[in-house]
Amino acid sequence: MIKRTYFFVGMSLFFLITACSSGSVKSETNELVIAWPQDIGAMDPRGYGASQMFAQNLIFESLVQYNDEGEIEPLLAEDWEQSEDGRTTTFYLREDVQFSDGSPFNADDVKANFNKVLDNRERHAWLELANQLQEVNVIDEYTVELTLSEAYYPLFEELALVRPFRIAKEVDGQYVGTGVYELQQHDREERAVFSGNEHYWSHSPEVDRLVVQVIPDSESRMMALDNGEIDLVYGNGLLSMDAIQYFEDQEGFEVNQSDPQATRTAVLNTNRGPLEEESVRHALVHSFNTNQVVQDVFYGTEEPATALFGEHVPYMPSVEPFDYDLDYAAQQLEEAGWILNEEGLRVKDQESLSLSYVYDANDAIQRTVGEWLQHGAGQVGIAVQLEGVDNQAYLNAQKSGEFDVIYQETWGAPYDPHAFVSSMRIPAHADYQAQLGLEQKAEIDQMINQVFITTEESKRTDLYEEILQEIHDQAVYLPVSYTSTIAVYHDGISGVEFAPIPYEFQLEKVKKNASDS
Amino acid sequence: MLRILSWRLFTLVPSIILLSIVVFLALHLIPGDPAVAYLSASQLPITEEAIERVTIELGLDRPVWEQYVSWFSSALTMDFGTSYMTGEPIVEEFLFYFPATVELSVWAFLTVILFVIVLGSASAYFRKTWVDYGSRLFSIVGASLPSFWLGFLLLYVFSMTLGIFPSGNRGTFAHYVLPVLTLAIPYIAIYSRLFRTSLLEVEKLPWMFSARARGLSEKTIWIKFQLRHGVLALLPVLGIVMGYLLAGTFIVENIFSWPGVGRYMMNAIVQRDYPVIQFYILVIACMFLLINLIVDLLQAWLDPRQRHQKDGVKHV
Repeated sequence: MIKRTYFFVGMSLFFLITACSSGSVKSETNELVIAWPQDIGAMDPRGYGASQMFAQNLIFESLVQYNDEGEIEPLLAEDWEQSEDGRTTTFYLREDVQFSDGSPFNADDVKANFNKVLDNRERHAWLELANQLQEVNVIDEYTVELTLSEAYYPLFEELALVRPFRIAKEVDGQYVGTGVYELQQHDREERAVFSGNEHYWSHSPEVDRLVVQVIPDSESRMMALDNGEIDLVYGNGLLSMDAIQYFEDQEGFEVNQSDPQATRTAVLNTNRGPLEEESVRHALVHSFNTNQVVQDVFYGTEEPATALFGEHVPYMPSVEPFDYDLDYAAQQLEEAGWILNEEGLRVKDQESLSLSYVYDANDAIQRTVGEWLQHGAGQVGIAVQLEGVDNQAYLNAQKSGEFDVIYQETWGAPYDPHAFVSSMRIPAHADYQAQLGLEQKAEIDQMINQVFITTEESKRTDLYEEILQEIHDQAVYLPVSYTSTIAVYHDGISGVEFAPIPYEFQLEKVKKNASDS
Repeated sequence: MLRILSWRLFTLVPSIILLSIVVFLALHLIPGDPAVAYLSASQLPITEEAIERVTIELGLDRPVWEQYVSWFSSALTMDFGTSYMTGEPIVEEFLFYFPATVELSVWAFLTVILFVIVLGSASAYFRKTWVDYGSRLFSIVGASLPSFWLGFLLLYVFSMTLGIFPSGNRGTFAHYVLPVLTLAIPYIAIYSRLFRTSLLEVEKLPWMFSARARGLSEKTIWIKFQLRHGVLALLPVLGIVMGYLLAGTFIVENIFSWPGVGRYMMNAIVQRDYPVIQFYILVIACMFLLINLIVDLLQAWLDPRQRHQKDGVKHV
């Protein structure tokens, strides 16, 4: 009898708890809940490693920013002027800005933050501005002057980056910023809660409380979004292609994608084997069916690429795309003396037309791109061997140029085009190695040097056009697709927009309707 | 007793040192470069100069033996270094994540014990009935499901379809149910059968016969003799289960977004955070060794025959 009572009490307790817990699964209406695969890390404006850029961007602001068109516009600096020689730039700061703890922002804060970057120049040396910046002078309370060692035109682009040139103030061992949000609560590895900065100088966020829930597994993220624990999944690669497809078919969900950001390409080595011939390179790029790949591999979530950079990238001239045209490809090979043998392979001087494609074996997309490349090339008689190697060997191949074709992505805004083009001069990059076979390589490098020191905008435009046109005409890059950021969210969410820079999430503009609760 | 204990503790030292050497070497043999992992996690361009700079910063440019010696000498002072990725002291980070894992494992452990005893004795008591067959079916299914699959299945049914339990993270009681079940079910499946078998084996022993002859009630025999001996056989196994639970939370912590050491370790592996991996493996190894020791002691305490044997008194 007693046993039975225990059993009964136990069971009813269990059901009571289960009943109480149901319904609490969904997120609250007055907060926006997003998922992120890892903890936001230390909120230090100059922190790398575990510190997440999107979170740093919510709290800390820079002097200037990118607008939606990818142009530089004022942020903490209202205006600026440059000296004749382009080495000195004077910034006039906004006077109505406060940190989230209420203390005022002025020129001393800029100097203190930038000097901290210069104290660790080595650490930030990956960014050319950290090397170029010589001195930071406070002129008056709201005027600050930066002196560079040369006229370096990407100054503004690099100042706009999420790190390291953002403004923070240390209060009780924590960094506070002037940004739209402040960090309210941080349960490490569980969640971070941001709330609107009440001292913010511009528009407050639409939803005052932003919760970043840490969900490391992509399938778990999908289920959390599906049952309403999460309002929004925003970012690159956070959901599998199949999950995105599922939400597209599911009622009550929106799938939205940003404009093109970076480019997936296959780099053709002009300095090795058959690809030294321009006609073979042309045959290869025309045998690749970009549209089909985008449909089958990316389910249409990425756009087909037409060149190394899309037309959204500054200074990119409009170029003729390489159409998928097997007849044209075959004709190019015929004219160059590559004859089809009875096994269906092209041969010239007893040499068969065979290429290697080097990729990182752990990356499924890189392999799939290789398979499509192999398939297309096979149709015109070019044999392609897929060489999947570990990450280290892949990087080594880039450095040494030991590849015929290698997979590569551009760096996206704001590094495209200037930082990417700049790296074409550096021997440790696949781009340098791949371009070595071009007759005009020395000339191209010379033009790249010019681009960075010329102070005339029109001349810079001409130089970029010449460089990028030349590289395109020579078919050094086989364009695959443009990556983009994807957002999936419930119907009650609106105002989801994308910034031109992948890690600047414009979450302050997102609205949440009460009807969704 | 104390002598045996201190001797056993002392013999652990060389095995731990040897283990640390093997782990250190193995870590440096696996492909992948911590400097590259650091740069890509930081979204920095991976250039030759950058890799070189980070390699020097992390001290990975020195020969492996030199790295080991410097690691070992600071480990002697309980300084196990800092994480490559966060720059924080590893011991502190580990202690931060460990309680969440212990919490999860202890609940799973208690669940395992409860269900193993209930299910095992029920199927022994009602053997060859539907209770027994049902528990056998559960065991076969439970033991053969991989835990990631089981986890997703539970998530799909109880979180996505029925919406009863949340899909992850800590908080209320409801947050514990799915991860604890995912962890516990495979062990319940295996050990409830084991427990049933050992209960049935006890039945064939002579003193059961004599107990019945003495006219003790079946209930007394069941509780005082059969169950007690069955639990005794289960004890060494349960020790290992606790070890496995503590070390085996990787998958569960990832699926259910649980902030424990399993996930900490998983990230460390992906990011080639050598000092973290090294420390974790050592801690888990020590834990297994200690649990074994505790089980031996417990067994001696529960089973007078063993205790007396060790003291040099032989019972026939």
